[in-house]
Amino acid sequence: MAVFLSNGLLSGGQKEPVIEPSTSAKLPSFVPTNLLNPIEEDTSTSTRHVEPADVNQGLSGPPTFTLDTETTTKLRSFVSNALLSGAEPVDTNQGPSARISMLNTETTPVSRSFVSNGLLSGTEPMEANQDQSPQTPILNTETTPASRSFVSNGLLSGTTSSTSSFPMDRPLQASSSTLQFNVQARTFSGKAVYIRKKSKLLTNQPMQQLSSQKIGKLLDVPIHRLMDELSAATAAILAAPPSREIATKDNAPENTLLVDRYRPRRYVELIGSERVARDTMTWVKMWDWCVFGRKKGKKRARDGDEELYDDDEYHRPRDKLLLLSGPPGLGKTTLAHVVARQAGYEVLEINASDARSGQIVDDRIKPTLEAGATIGSKKPVLLIIDEIDGATGAGDSSATFIHKLVQLTQQRSKKKRNGQKNGPEVKKPILRPIICICNDHNAASLAKLRPYAYQIRMSRPADIHTVKRLRTICDAEGLKTETRALGTLVGIARGDLRSCLNTLQFIKSRSDEVTEAMIRRATAGTREADNTISSALNSLFNPMTRKRVKELGLTEDQEGRYVSRLSQEIDAIGKESSIATGCFAHYANLRQLDANFSRYEKANEWLGVYDYMTSAMYSEGEFALSQYIPYLLIPFHPLFQERGSARVERSQADWEHSQTRRTNEEIYKSLAGCIRIASGKLGGSYRQFMTSPVLETEFAPYLNRIISPPLRPVNSQIVRPEERTLLTRLISIMASLELRFMQERAEDGQLTYRLDPPIDVFVNYDGKRAVDIAVTRYAVRHLVAGEVEAKLTGQRVDIVEKSKPSFRSFFGSSDRSNAPSRTRPGDHADGPPSKRIKVDLADKLPTDFFGRPIDLTKLTVANQAHQKRHAAKCFKISYRFAEGNSAAVRRPVKLDSFL
Amino acid sequence: MSLWVDQYRPRSLDDLHYHQGLSARLGSLAASGDFPHMLFYGPSGAGKKTRIACTLKELFGPGVEKIKIDQRIFLTPSKRKLEVNLVQSNFHIEITPSETGNYDRIVIQELLKEIAQTQQVDLNAKQRFKVVIINEADSLSRDAQAALRRTMEKYMSNMRIILCANSTSRLIAPIRSRCLLMRVAAPDSDATGIVLDYVARRVGFDLTPDVARHIIEDAAGNMRKALLVLEALKMQSPDLSGNLSIAKPDWETYCHKVADLIVQEQTPARVMEVRAKFYELLSHCIPPTVILKTVAERVVERVDEALKADIMHWAAFYEVRMRVGSKKIFHLEAWVVKVMSLYKQFFYSMDLTGFD
Repeated sequence: MAVFLSNGLLSGGQKEPVIEPSTSAKLPSFVPTNLLNPIEEDTSTSTRHVEPADVNQGLSGPPTFTLDTETTTKLRSFVSNALLSGAEPVDTNQGPSARISMLNTETTPVSRSFVSNGLLSGTEPMEANQDQSPQTPILNTETTPASRSFVSNGLLSGTTSSTSSFPMDRPLQASSSTLQFNVQARTFSGKAVYIRKKSKLLTNQPMQQLSSQKIGKLLDVPIHRLMDELSAATAAILAAPPSREIATKDNAPENTLLVDRYRPRRYVELIGSERVARDTMTWVKMWDWCVFGRKKGKKRARDGDEELYDDDEYHRPRDKLLLLSGPPGLGKTTLAHVVARQAGYEVLEINASDARSGQIVDDRIKPTLEAGATIGSKKPVLLIIDEIDGATGAGDSSATFIHKLVQLTQQRSKKKRNGQKNGPEVKKPILRPIICICNDHNAASLAKLRPYAYQIRMSRPADIHTVKRLRTICDAEGLKTETRALGTLVGIARGDLRSCLNTLQFIKSRSDEVTEAMIRRATAGTREADNTISSALNSLFNPMTRKRVKELGLTEDQEGRYVSRLSQEIDAIGKESSIATGCFAHYANLRQLDANFSRYEKANEWLGVYDYMTSAMYSEGEFALSQYIPYLLIPFHPLFQERGSARVERSQADWEHSQTRRTNEEIYKSLAGCIRIASGKLGGSYRQFMTSPVLETEFAPYLNRIISPPLRPVNSQIVRPEERTLLTRLISIMASLELRFMQERAEDGQLTYRLDPPIDVFVNYDGKRAVDIAVTRYAVRHLVAGEVEAKLTGQRVDIVEKSKPSFRSFFGSSDRSNAPSRTRPGDHADGPPSKRIKVDLADKLPTDFFGRPIDLTKLTVANQAHQKRHAAKCFKISYRFAEGNSAAVRRPVKLDSFL
Repeated sequence: MSLWVDQYRPRSLDDLHYHQGLSARLGSLAASGDFPHMLFYGPSGAGKKTRIACTLKELFGPGVEKIKIDQRIFLTPSKRKLEVNLVQSNFHIEITPSETGNYDRIVIQELLKEIAQTQQVDLNAKQRFKVVIINEADSLSRDAQAALRRTMEKYMSNMRIILCANSTSRLIAPIRSRCLLMRVAAPDSDATGIVLDYVARRVGFDLTPDVARHIIEDAAGNMRKALLVLEALKMQSPDLSGNLSIAKPDWETYCHKVADLIVQEQTPARVMEVRAKFYELLSHCIPPTVILKTVAERVVERVDEALKADIMHWAAFYEVRMRVGSKKIFHLEAWVVKVMSLYKQFFYSMDLTGFD
């Protein structure tokens, strides 16, 4: 019986659920096989402990006799069976399995009587009961030593409600028929107390939950008490660190994939970087305060994390998303699930199989997260968004999945303090953790997500760990392997455990032995693991590394065959244009001895053909060509491959150039807009400059020269007559084209005038200005800017009609200025009106200022209102249809505004 | 007041300074009332558009000068919006379909049909038809040209089309055969001189023959350029005296630099240097064909006689490729590598013959 004790305790120590035959069939429980042997040895050494157990058996009724009739060896086998019954009926004992099961069922009541079991599965009242047990000679039976074990027995059978459902519990019914529904206990005074059995709850729960609960309970019992009840041997085993073993299901092993069968189900079983797992767990645990309430987070708060939560009233972590990234097959999804379950969450998973439009966030994610739990579950929910890099997210639309998700997590509950009476409109912040999983954390669609996410990268674990795990699995599956073969497998798969397991399964379906040759055969033609543009470029420009060749086990001849290998690799990426640009950027960096440029010529020839084909493909819609495109880039390999050359860095030159090009195109566009205005205004044929090659090659460079005459920075009143004509000419040209100098404050606080639109960039090459165009000085620009503004304002007034206030009062008072004010595309680029006034005042010719008081643009803001009233009285207004003027603005106007 | 090139542009056929024969012919065509579809072609800056405008005025009177400019939005089948600038008067409409790139067919089809199906409503109008001017007709896509050809016949009663192109080579034959071809040649140096003098007189300054000669040489038959240069010179040194240097456009100077780089050294490092310069030029929106042409011409000036034909041949070769392809820089560099290779081969063979 001591064996049972130890077993029970041990399994508790192993975070195991109570070993119950009835549940063992369903539960994916697990017993370390290697622990089996020491226990068995223990049985022999601790046979003397059997005696009390025997008493116990005797007391418990018929089952003991069945046991007693068994031989000691049988007992031993029973022991081991009991151990195994928690696990699947596995391994070598396929033959005796029938007997084992028989035994199991027969002896169930006995196995139920583990003390430790009672401790582990016991609910609180039971424990209370147990505390009493030493003092009170109670509970149906007589002697204290026996009673203890019996107590637990009774307790246990009371707790586990499976008794009734258990098929073979005749003996139990005989012994504990009174305890069918209630647990009997006695107080100090000897009064019987019946405690209601707890309803069946635990059996169906996932194992993780179960085990963690058990741990909690286990540790609630003072350890010294437990230790008292343990034999020295079991204590030693308990103290030993839990070895990493694989959980196995005991349902039909052939029906599940190895991948699923050996998927880690508990935190300790995870393979790979411990830090990653721990980081993930830590992040999830940071939500405890928010999700499970203050109590659980207390300890953490004391650790000094308070400032972390300060800005968040719900004490959520700062990053409300976790972004888990890494190559496939390393167990990201498994990690997320395991951590979530271990931390006590229900998992809601959204993966690529679900539609992932922005709408999903509103329809599914938000309600669930706000409710805090899925329907029919008591546990809080944790959202796992798998394969998020495939979700819509690129682009500026606000309806994308990523955008909505970020929005959702960043909501702040501003209205919360006003009280929740506002009703359903109050936006509730998200109080549940979200884990996002992706392969490529640099994916464009994730750009918006990244700033808000706590990022954890998973990387390939050291091969030795993977091999070790594979080895354990192979042993469990009865595959004969050699470490070398497994090492090869891991090498080929580049650490992808999933693909390793799939390969193993494939092999297993044929034979029981795994050799290197078989692995080679099974993995022939397996895809390359990581496919990025830079990796493709590297394999184009560098030969395969010796290591990789060895890993793939290629012969010299096979190594030489690069075409299919490279074409597959390029094809898999699917971004031929980026690769082509990369090739183009890189090839000339290779300083190979190439006297007559023959290799360069060839490379360019291929690039030319590539461009020809792709253009044809896109312009003619001949997408059948696309399968040939990768082959056009392969020639770079024979032409430029060189062992030991530097890694290819992707050059940004092409991209940068296209960016500058885009900005310059915008400038040209605005210049064309200016020309359009000018030609509309003046009726000239300026529009002919708008056409493409003329604008860039002739108009822009010469215009730049025309508008930068050598002017001296002097006051406009005292310029010489010849300079005066030059100035007027300049002003009129600039005004007609609506070119302006805009005042700007540079970073160092210096005021500068910038040409708007900035067409002077077209005389800047390599960042240097053309030598023959002097940079006009600030004072000159200031002078010109003022004059141009005046001129433009004057024109505007001319157009609007003399008596009308300028467009400025249009903004100020809507009561009267309904004039057909000009709205020009250029206007929105102007600064605020007040700034304009200032410039006007400073630079107006005095004669103009005093001579024409009608010109309202010169008035200060202060007397503007007065002047307006005045103007309204003074002038008769007449309207005339300006033929050909399409710039009129039509708006409803009341009659009294005219009077 | 606007730039001289615009201000002193001739407004009627009588004002035109050169190609008097052409002007007379245009005048009689306009007067005959049997105005055909027309295709004006000739080099840039020769005065095609000026002549078109003058012809229109001859046809419809001063009404054509009242123009308005607005934007029309066309929808592609893929629901993309295309903005097209329209210049129109009561009598004519002017479009540049190449603004829309590949979708010019849609613009041509929709716009022309719309115009063709409405008759001239102005009873006082001199002609019963409207005129559609299509600028840059040589960059029309094949589809657009095909769309044009039937329209030209079908709606002849309501509409005439005037095409304006630099060369006829890229117009399909059916279009060419439907038009009356008008070649507007570049003005010779005398004509340019006359125009420059005229402008100078109108502005009110004396243009010395020396300066005029400089400008004419630089402009090389491009009247627009000549006038722009004149105005730039006048602005930069108002008295037009002393040591005048006519500034080349910056991109041109830069292209020459590139050509020098190619000729000086032929190494992979130089290839990269030249590439950076090409990128700079392209990012200034200089058309790649123009770049190639300018650089090639400059290279040819500086190499041995024996190489010139080859270099030009390859420039033409890669220019075609560039037009067909989309990655311009690939072809520019391909040409550079080709030239470097040719140059090196030539150089080495020269050396070897010297040893013999």
